[in-house]
Amino acid sequence: MAGFQAFADYIICEKPIENVVVNGQAVGYEFEIKYPSYRGTYVSCIEKLEIAVDGREIDPKDLRFCLNHKEFLFAQIPELYSEYWFIHDNAVIRVFQEDGLAKDRDHEVSVRIVHRIPYTGYFGDYLVLDSANTKKLQVL
Amino acid sequence: MADKQIKYAVTLYSMSCEYFTGKYNLEECLKAVAEMGYKGIELVAAQMIPEYPNPSREWMDEFVALLKRYQLEPICYSAYIDMGIRSDRDLNEEEIFQCTLNDMMYASYMGFPIVRTQHAITPKIFEQMVPYARKFNVKLTIELHRPHTPSVPVWQEYMRIMDKHGTENLGIVPDFSIFQRTPHKLYLELAIKQGARKPVLEAACRIFEEGAEVEATIGKLDSLSEFEIVTIKDIYSNFYSNSADVEEMRTLLKYTPYIHGKFYYLEEDQDDTCVPFHKLLPLIKEEGYSGYISSEYEGHHFSTEVSSAEQLHRLIKMENRILYGV
Repeated sequence: MAGFQAFADYIICEKPIENVVVNGQAVGYEFEIKYPSYRGTYVSCIEKLEIAVDGREIDPKDLRFCLNHKEFLFAQIPELYSEYWFIHDNAVIRVFQEDGLAKDRDHEVSVRIVHRIPYTGYFGDYLVLDSANTKKLQVL
Repeated sequence: MADKQIKYAVTLYSMSCEYFTGKYNLEECLKAVAEMGYKGIELVAAQMIPEYPNPSREWMDEFVALLKRYQLEPICYSAYIDMGIRSDRDLNEEEIFQCTLNDMMYASYMGFPIVRTQHAITPKIFEQMVPYARKFNVKLTIELHRPHTPSVPVWQEYMRIMDKHGTENLGIVPDFSIFQRTPHKLYLELAIKQGARKPVLEAACRIFEEGAEVEATIGKLDSLSEFEIVTIKDIYSNFYSNSADVEEMRTLLKYTPYIHGKFYYLEEDQDDTCVPFHKLLPLIKEEGYSGYISSEYEGHHFSTEVSSAEQLHRLIKMENRILYGV
């Protein structure tokens, strides 16, 4: 459906992926995403958050959602009705993966956010938008 | 009569694209609208307050200082009733009451005379807010926005409450989207970009213009794709049905201190083909309306390529032409 999707192209921030290193060993990697709307939202309004890297869907158990100086399990997202995602605060998606990502090439990141617009229940149902974005990112 | 002049304001929401992409920060948005000649400002709290829903005193003080710097005046603080934030249930009465009370206090602190809330406040809580609106010296207004129209029953209740308590501290903010007809250029361009065929959409619009309903229209068009069917249904519900009659504006004006002059795209020196400003503006002038009309550019839902500043410029030119012949 046309409309309300013009900002989806901006979901994945054009910043390089960074490996997460602990004790000299990469344990995963992270990149940043923006909420694709004119206004912010409560994190609990995210009904689905799907991440794929290089064509492979990441298991939610290996993912963390970091915002407002806190780190959350994906399974906690539906409960986060007190966490506001301001449109200029990028959320960090952390992926746990042994050895992180190789730096010798770009990686294709895909993000799909299915999100409820919490003030739209004019006649009962809320508008639920399905926003997706894919970008090639370097590894820092 | 100077005191009967319609006043212009602008919602910073009009700059959504520039603000979202980081082209303009809050101060640059204020500077841009001040340079266009606007004085009155509407702030969409959930959009531009980093600490939303609870702005700090420091943030509010800084905002007020910015308004002073650019000689701008706070007019409308736009609040939300985010009924659906929880995954297990809707907001309850206590929560709606509390967020509305907070928004009225923030607005009052920053000097906004008008707080815009939403229909979901419920008549019961709206009425409960009356003493607080008086105490804080703000006008609590409810936005009448598409897909609602004045004939949705809850609005009769809201008007009864305003008749009972007066409009000193209560009001309605009609959004011109309730009157929109025929899809605008950015809508059609996006639908075509997403895969609908232009002649198909044009044919559907022609059939709708003749008064046909959605299923009949789809039946008259051959070999539609699934996306085209979805789009045609969307066009019907947004532009060819559920619209208020322009004359209904007369009833609303009694309660109206502030109007959302919603628009999506304007060609240079032409009337809006989607939102009937050319009918609405003479009507509100004839009725002696002396409140605000706020410029609300909403093309950013459909394209990030259009200059909001240029669109706002075209709007003011069009409004001046329609209202004052200049």
